Amino acid sequence: MQVSRSSLSLEQAPPISVPFRFFITAPIFGLLAALLLLVYGPDILISRWAPATLALTHLITLGFLGMIMCGAMMQMLPVLAGSPVPRVKPVATAVHGLLTIGTLALVAGFLSGITGLFHLALSTLGLGFLIFIVAISVALIRIRTPNATIHGMRLAIASLATTVVLGLTVGAGFSGMTSLSQLIPLTDIHLGWGILGWIGILVIGVAYQVVPMFQLTPEYPQRLTGPLSWVLFATLVIWAPLYLAWGSGQLPKWVPDTWILLPTIGYTLFAGTTLWLQHKRRRRVSDITLLFWRTGMILIAACLLLWLTSLTPAAKNQPAIPLLLGIWLLFGIATSVTNGMLYKIVPFLAWFHLQNRQVALMSMGKVKVPNMKELMPDRLAQRQLYAHLATLLLLTLAPFWPNPFSYLAGLGLGVSCTLLLLNILQATHRYQQVNHELSDFESSR
Amino acid sequence: MEHKLDVSGLEPPEPMEQILQAIESLNSGDYLYVIHRREPRMIYPMLENMGIAWITQPGGPEGYEIFIWRKDDHIANAKIPTRHPQ
Repeated sequence: MQVSRSSLSLEQAPPISVPFRFFITAPIFGLLAALLLLVYGPDILISRWAPATLALTHLITLGFLGMIMCGAMMQMLPVLAGSPVPRVKPVATAVHGLLTIGTLALVAGFLSGITGLFHLALSTLGLGFLIFIVAISVALIRIRTPNATIHGMRLAIASLATTVVLGLTVGAGFSGMTSLSQLIPLTDIHLGWGILGWIGILVIGVAYQVVPMFQLTPEYPQRLTGPLSWVLFATLVIWAPLYLAWGSGQLPKWVPDTWILLPTIGYTLFAGTTLWLQHKRRRRVSDITLLFWRTGMILIAACLLLWLTSLTPAAKNQPAIPLLLGIWLLFGIATSVTNGMLYKIVPFLAWFHLQNRQVALMSMGKVKVPNMKELMPDRLAQRQLYAHLATLLLLTLAPFWPNPFSYLAGLGLGVSCTLLLLNILQATHRYQQVNHELSDFESSR
Repeated sequence: MEHKLDVSGLEPPEPMEQILQAIESLNSGDYLYVIHRREPRMIYPMLENMGIAWITQPGGPEGYEIFIWRKDDHIANAKIPTRHPQ
């Protein structure tokens, strides 16, 4: 019989400030995105190539999603795989600082067209992601017995590296630093690797662990978890040259467009499985994270249908459809899932650090450590969920009726991100309060 | 005496909370028999700090069984391998 005594040493878990600085910054970038929607209104929804639209997109991808995903990954590697990120404190400080400056500079560059801002953005984002990718890769390589989650994380990091290299290339082309003959196809490939590679494969890999763990569902079937991430990654590797071949006139557009259906079907399979597992969960109580995830999973299937619609001749000259696809992918799916996860990660980490300290001080019965629900009350999370869903509805209508829905969506996003920020700050404040009580107890001994 | 604790239907970190609470009520010669659906790796450092011994083994009705007792409790210690050979 196998006996396990393996454990996660306390030194391996990064300090709470490492993930929390990323989690607090994310909704602030969300607020900036809301501000942009309010200022630019319908102009931001004319075309996905408009500079303000590109600024908005990057506030969500780099500012909101990137922050949460980078922070969560630094935290999850030691917890899920027992492999800490090397020099996690200086790495977190550098990555957080560089990505924050880089995202702000990029957005300002798009809005102003000033080349110097693009220089600053590309150098800081490039360096920030380089440090992140190297540090995470070291932790991932050290894992001797990788499971499906670790394979997913490795492929997600490879996808991130591809996305960043492509992003730097098209960024240099967009700002006029270099001349690129295939700027539009390369931008689409950058987008494809970012969404279907980095975001998608990481979400899938993390879901294998967190959905059964936190939502008390059965485990994902191994016949899905084994091959899915690899198949998705391989389809992207093949899709990129097909798309470039279309860009240079060597292939008709329907070839890469049909090929991209393969990963889309793979993601729909994952979404269907997740919904089925959630249906089979043991504890049938209302759960905010589950509702965020359910929203995301339903929209994956909706994106497949929308993509199929976009391939019909009737949809060819309808610019609202690619915009809606982008909105559903980035806000409906990626933002829903990451936002929902924060409602587990934030109170769990706060509780875990406090509980650890209480045990170390032997202060049980002297200082009360609040439970998860006390750190993140359901009613607060639920209020933000409703704001998020209302924003999703308004954003869905906005490409078709930009006026007034772009303004209303901006308002909704502002409310939703404000509530999310307040909820995280509230949990942080509660954590600090109890941590001070523990410090008082320590000094009084 | 064995104290049975089934935490398999609980969401994290409730299993940890319940285990830590149950440990406080262990008397001399007592040990905790925990039924869990996952290996509770995050609780191990806390147990170590508290002077608590444990053995985790795959199996049981939900996937994992954990036996927990006070390190200095030799009576409880002696009962674990007899009932559940390693």
